[in-house]
Amino acid sequence: MSGWEILQIWIMAFFTLALFSFLYRDNPAYRLAEHLFAGLSAGYYTGLIWKSVIIQQLWEPITRAENPRWWLVFPGFLGILLFTRLIARISWVSRFSLAFVMGNTAGVYLVSQLHGLVLPQLRSTMQSVVSSKGFGPSLLAIIVVVGVISTLIYFYFSKEHTGLLGGTAKVGIWCIMIAFGAHFGYTVMARVSLLIGQVYFLWNDWLGSFKQIL
Amino acid sequence: MRRTVPVVIAFLSGFVMLVSFFFNPDRSILGRIESEVLSWVSIVAGFSMLLGVVSIVGVNWRVVRDRREGWGYKAITLVAVFVMAIPAMLPVSWSPLFGDGSGSIYDWLFQNLSATMMGTMFAMLAFYIASAAYRAFRARNAEATILLLTAILVMLWRIPMGEAFLRLFSDKLPDIINTYVMNGVNLAVQRGIIIGAALGAASMSLRIMLGIERTYMGRG
Amino acid sequence: MNFWDRIATVERRWVYLMVALAVIFPLIVPAHFPVQISPEARQLYDAVEALPDSCNVMLTFDYYPSTLAETEPMSIAALHHLFRKNCKIVTMTTIPLGGPSIAERVTRKMAAEYGKIYGVDYVNLGYKYNYVAVLKGMGTSIESIYPTDNSGTPLSELPLMQHVKNYKDIKFIFVVSDNVIVDYWISIVNAEYGIPVGCGATAVMAPKFYSYVGSGQMTGLLGGMKGAAEYEQLVNHPGLAVKGMGIQSLVHLLIIGLVIVGNLGYFLGSGRRKAKQL
Repeated sequence: MSGWEILQIWIMAFFTLALFSFLYRDNPAYRLAEHLFAGLSAGYYTGLIWKSVIIQQLWEPITRAENPRWWLVFPGFLGILLFTRLIARISWVSRFSLAFVMGNTAGVYLVSQLHGLVLPQLRSTMQSVVSSKGFGPSLLAIIVVVGVISTLIYFYFSKEHTGLLGGTAKVGIWCIMIAFGAHFGYTVMARVSLLIGQVYFLWNDWLGSFKQIL
Repeated sequence: MRRTVPVVIAFLSGFVMLVSFFFNPDRSILGRIESEVLSWVSIVAGFSMLLGVVSIVGVNWRVVRDRREGWGYKAITLVAVFVMAIPAMLPVSWSPLFGDGSGSIYDWLFQNLSATMMGTMFAMLAFYIASAAYRAFRARNAEATILLLTAILVMLWRIPMGEAFLRLFSDKLPDIINTYVMNGVNLAVQRGIIIGAALGAASMSLRIMLGIERTYMGRG
Repeated sequence: MNFWDRIATVERRWVYLMVALAVIFPLIVPAHFPVQISPEARQLYDAVEALPDSCNVMLTFDYYPSTLAETEPMSIAALHHLFRKNCKIVTMTTIPLGGPSIAERVTRKMAAEYGKIYGVDYVNLGYKYNYVAVLKGMGTSIESIYPTDNSGTPLSELPLMQHVKNYKDIKFIFVVSDNVIVDYWISIVNAEYGIPVGCGATAVMAPKFYSYVGSGQMTGLLGGMKGAAEYEQLVNHPGLAVKGMGIQSLVHLLIIGLVIVGNLGYFLGSGRRKAKQL
């Protein structure tokens, strides 16, 4: 391990421990790391958009010698119009650009949400009832159908949850609790995994560097 | 002009995507239009990220200029923005420290500071989830008890030691959890939520395209 | 205040300390635990295994640096599997913060290990803004969305990209993700273009995706570090995820213990009575 690598590890370890120190209480080292992180993230976004959008998607295609795509000045212009948001008097101009992006995304969503999610999910639910054979698969199919319907009814607020609707919603909340319990179990693993990553670094790299120094 | 034109733009921009879905994009001019419009959207939306950065710089700069509380930390944020961004925007032909490749200032700051700090911020959640589990996860009523028991069962099932423990009761228990909890009740609830959310997203999309939903435009 | 009341109101920093010790202890006394392979992980492995050798595969790095401990082992295991099968790999990311840097670092390291050549055996497209437009746009033309690769080389100059023009030229998409982008890989790419999508997701996201596996829209699923460990084991390259399962075991048992003790404190102390009075 070279001196430069050790220095790098120590810088990383300093900021890792500075952030962990918040677990004890708020302190200047934590706030320093927090604000530095915010600034670096904003800087990272700037560098990324500069390269991937302004250079690669605009400048190079427009200025290349072969088949220049000169018409890309229009989306470039629409992008610049977004900055009118910062000037109150003409901020409405930015709506043209926003509307273009929002409308397009809405167009994609309208189809993809229905065609790509609602229909296949409904189809799978219904087909499981028809096609399942034997006790286990049939029971599973019934659980899925009951679970889907009762969950949808639980989230249906246009009518008061009384009578049959109320009973089904009650089944819905039990199902939801089981699913959320499972989700909690998974979430614990997710959070612990992230901690393991940082502890590995401190244990192997940072503490390992002590051997090199001493 | 201020409201009608954006509504027309939103409708046309969405309509292209809607119509192109029904045609083979490879064989029609519609496919080329769709492809062009999508690359335009990617470009225009990219500028919104820069708008966000300009806004962050503006807010922090005002605090530093007016020497308001915590201005020193805000100054660190400002310096960090420029130290990260400016070398990335300079051509790598000037110096290997510029640009975003391996060995550049940008890459070094990201790999050694940003990535580490981001990882640590999220790693802290492990402590909070343990504390929450201890202090707030109570079997107060039937619903909470169901949630708690499922959580314990799934936690055991997810770890090798716990799975071995479950097998002490029955060799089939881990498979039963996978089949009836994860691929049964969990799947059903997730499916219900997916269907509900997708219907909501589709109806909202239609409202945006038809100009009924205009809150994204702001006031004025 | 009786004993159980004191137990129920233990200062949170003691809980933090216990978690820290539970993470550190297995590092001092390492223990190996065999990982059982789930049907979902097996399905993903089998799907990749069944791909024809040297076919084109897309591997996505749709995750932030914050979840590297869960997702990077999945990417590494996937690259072991794909490079071993001589698949041609196109990588990309929809994550602005760190996505391109992570994809570049991991892919180059693994390619060097397998002696793969950039541009011929693999290409890193990098990042472009607005994932909906990116995912949809690549269905018609990858080049219209990505005129160049991550390092600025025009796609027309990369031999691999001569054969990969849009999704039709890709046999399988292996998504590694820590966020909702997976929904769009399913609802846009799989639904409209019919490309099989397999997924490695963080544990937080995984429960939702069982629904896609059940409907046949997703071909296999790796859930969190356990899923990563399963895939590492399947490709016979045990790494950080397999190692991490020892720590996971101890911390999970600690949290289960905390839940039980917390509830004992609640029921045997005065917490329940107070809650009833409210």
